[in-house]
Amino acid sequence: MAANGIESNARHVLDRVVNAGAAGDLVVREAASLSLKAHAGLLEEHKVTSTRVYGVRAVKDDRAGIAYSEADDAAALDSMVDQALVNAAFARVDPNEGVAPGDTALTTDDAILSPTDATTVEAKIDTALHIERELTARDKVRNLPYNGVQDITATRYVFSTTGRTARSQGRVCSVHAYALASDAGKDALEGVQWHGRRFDEIDTEWIIEETYRRCLAMLQGEAIPSRHYDVLFDAEHQADLFAVFADMFSAKTARDGINPLRDKVGEQVAVEALTIRDAPLDADGLRYALFDDEGLSTATTDLIDAGVLNTLAHNSATAAHFDVPNTGNAERSPRSSLGVGLHQLEIAPGDVTESSLTSGEYLEIVDLAGLHSGANTVSGDFSFGAAGFLCRDGQRLRPVRNITVAGNFYEMLTKIAAIGDTQHWNPERSALMARIRFADVAISG
Amino acid sequence: MLDTRVAQSAIDHAIALGADFAEVFVERNQINNIATLSSQVRDIASGIDFGVGVRVVYGTNVLYGYTNRTDQEELKRIVSELAAKDRRDPAAVSQAFDFRVAADAHRAERTLSKDAEVGDKVAYLVAADRAARKASNLISQTQGACTQRQQGVEIFNSEGLHIRDTRHYVRASLRAVASNGTEQATGSRNDGGLLGWEIVETLDPAECGSEAARQALVNLSAKPCPSGRMPVVIGNGFGGVIFHEACGHLLETTSVAKQASVFHDRLGEVVANPVVNAVDDGTLLREWGSINVDDEGMATERTQLIKDGVLVNFLADRVGAAQTGLPRTGSGRRQSYQYAPASRMRNTFIESGDDSFDDMIASIDRGLYASHMGGGSVQPGTGEFNFAVVEGYYVEDGKVRYPVKAATLISTGPDVLRRISMVGRDFALATGMCGSVSGMVPTTVGQATLKVDDILVGGNA
Repeated sequence: MAANGIESNARHVLDRVVNAGAAGDLVVREAASLSLKAHAGLLEEHKVTSTRVYGVRAVKDDRAGIAYSEADDAAALDSMVDQALVNAAFARVDPNEGVAPGDTALTTDDAILSPTDATTVEAKIDTALHIERELTARDKVRNLPYNGVQDITATRYVFSTTGRTARSQGRVCSVHAYALASDAGKDALEGVQWHGRRFDEIDTEWIIEETYRRCLAMLQGEAIPSRHYDVLFDAEHQADLFAVFADMFSAKTARDGINPLRDKVGEQVAVEALTIRDAPLDADGLRYALFDDEGLSTATTDLIDAGVLNTLAHNSATAAHFDVPNTGNAERSPRSSLGVGLHQLEIAPGDVTESSLTSGEYLEIVDLAGLHSGANTVSGDFSFGAAGFLCRDGQRLRPVRNITVAGNFYEMLTKIAAIGDTQHWNPERSALMARIRFADVAISG
Repeated sequence: MLDTRVAQSAIDHAIALGADFAEVFVERNQINNIATLSSQVRDIASGIDFGVGVRVVYGTNVLYGYTNRTDQEELKRIVSELAAKDRRDPAAVSQAFDFRVAADAHRAERTLSKDAEVGDKVAYLVAADRAARKASNLISQTQGACTQRQQGVEIFNSEGLHIRDTRHYVRASLRAVASNGTEQATGSRNDGGLLGWEIVETLDPAECGSEAARQALVNLSAKPCPSGRMPVVIGNGFGGVIFHEACGHLLETTSVAKQASVFHDRLGEVVANPVVNAVDDGTLLREWGSINVDDEGMATERTQLIKDGVLVNFLADRVGAAQTGLPRTGSGRRQSYQYAPASRMRNTFIESGDDSFDDMIASIDRGLYASHMGGGSVQPGTGEFNFAVVEGYYVEDGKVRYPVKAATLISTGPDVLRRISMVGRDFALATGMCGSVSGMVPTTVGQATLKVDDILVGGNA
């Protein structure tokens, strides 16, 4: 099932784990990518890469240790296993962290998740240069500080000492363009990104026109008076906001005593209109996952159902710890220990039409800054730089920038004014969400 | 780490394809991470990153590729693929390598390749946890971390450079969670440097734990922060992140060459209040952001950026220097072999002034004392930045009144430089990780406590 010696290397690694009297699993990530950036009519970056990294988790005497290696000769792999065993000897005893039983073999269809197309490297280079050339030729655009074309094919493998194997290959093509425009002493840096599985699906002209439109729209933005506003985020930043606070669904942070929702399962944590799922099997999303990083099958999980916290997201260790079903949310890179992560977040449609959602005055946020530095996932407090538009009845009245949006995310979930009846993918196609109108959010200008 | 003949072959191949400059960067990065939860080990992870980056330059166009393989065929394949569109008749001649080992100004003793010293590190983190819990029974959890890294690099280039260097990094931190049953708040403390685990000889786990606990307890009692434009006194040490983000990034030729920095045409001009003197210094002994040589093999140096408010220099790597005509400053840095080098900061700070903390606070009718800053980000093109305040206090009528939470500072680099009106004497440095075009690199920020006369504070009150 695996090419390039990965399967035989996996056998070698896991045999050594077993021979040491341990159990274990091995995660392998392999990737090949092309990355292009343009500047002043020339390629500023042309990057070609190929990588492979192995990460083993060895469990012995109820202690787990991990180690990884980017070299795959026998000596390096042996050293990796030995180091994992040494690390395990220092780890705390945790009878819940073992290797998930079972010997299933899972694999995804490359034709669906990793389709090929006929686009040549030269054509991709031309795309990067064309976008940069066209945008920098536009009135008021000074340059394109951030732009790029990427084509990444990544394969992940999971093998375990119980005989479990899993392989999935995915391709992501992406283009981003952020233009710096200036007019009368004011600057604006705005743009768009596009992600898909086929390069020949990219709509280059949309990227150019939309980047330019957003730049001009924001150029004359100014702060607005400080007070509380209703707020709607665009799809990109609504997904970003939920991603920043995704640990609220993690059973691992709950087990570690740093998840404020730890003891809230079965309780109302949000307005009744809010239903949130993890939907790994939606193949329209680019984070489709047939299996998690323990190699276990995934399934749709209702996390918040009608405002009630239905379950946290679990791997086998947290499920055993809390004595609840495993939700198939194990997350582990070759370099990291066994954790928990969401695959594809989904916010179910509400019952409010777009016109009702956008009635009256509200602030539409289209840019957030400081997402990771300005948020405390333990307390829920956040304060971000923001830009957007002051709107009324669905119409943008004027651009707004140099403002901050602040609040407590967990409290915001209980102060949702309305949820739209239509779902939208974020640009990275990692979250499918209905739009949420948050009530009474503190804005400083 | 790499057979010299393989490196020479790849470089010769690039030059034969018409490149003006070619470079092979080899990295072997050994790492050991320990994470504790309360008094127990949560995770221990270790590993080795190894790879080879190949940079091919035509004029000022940079082509870059990398691989985990070390064979001649793979490196030449990458060169051929990179040069496919630019290949031409040879324009340069590659020089024979002149090997040397970088002079080590930051000699480490307790290195990772000798011993990871896991038991000793765990003992330190457990002692810090004990100290945090001793501070108050409201401390409900702690998370400790200790990371040690030994990065060996070998750089070859078509000008005959062949140099090896080894960098030893170590960092220890504790995060404390305080809980009163309904709310949670956090505090943290971290230390690090360009040295081995001998850093522990200068650290006190009790101080680490009690400081993390103190901050968590302050934040647990904090009120929502008033918002709006107001004067802000920014604390020393990590408060220097404001200069790093707001100005430092705009002085890297990465932004300057593209005219994507608001300072790109301001060299020699007054850009700051005359009380501001700013430096980026890669030579400070055993500091987290120091280096012996940069990731292009050039010896690092001390670079005065702003002198008495006048912009006097930028930070330049090889390509940035070629694009701007400025001298290189030994600032070409990258996270790993997976990135081409770019001009990056090292230890960046505003030099001490002569104002007192009391005078700064006394000068404020309504404002904020941001005693501890968190991270932030900046848009180089517009200079707009944001910083999170992780410990702050409301100031009224010249007195520090009460702690506030969830505050963010928003402004632009040029604006804040002009509005720094007072700089104190309590200079300190602090460690951080800086992310930019060439990945995450260790950097130090620093300053004495200083006052900015007017800045937008985002709060929730």
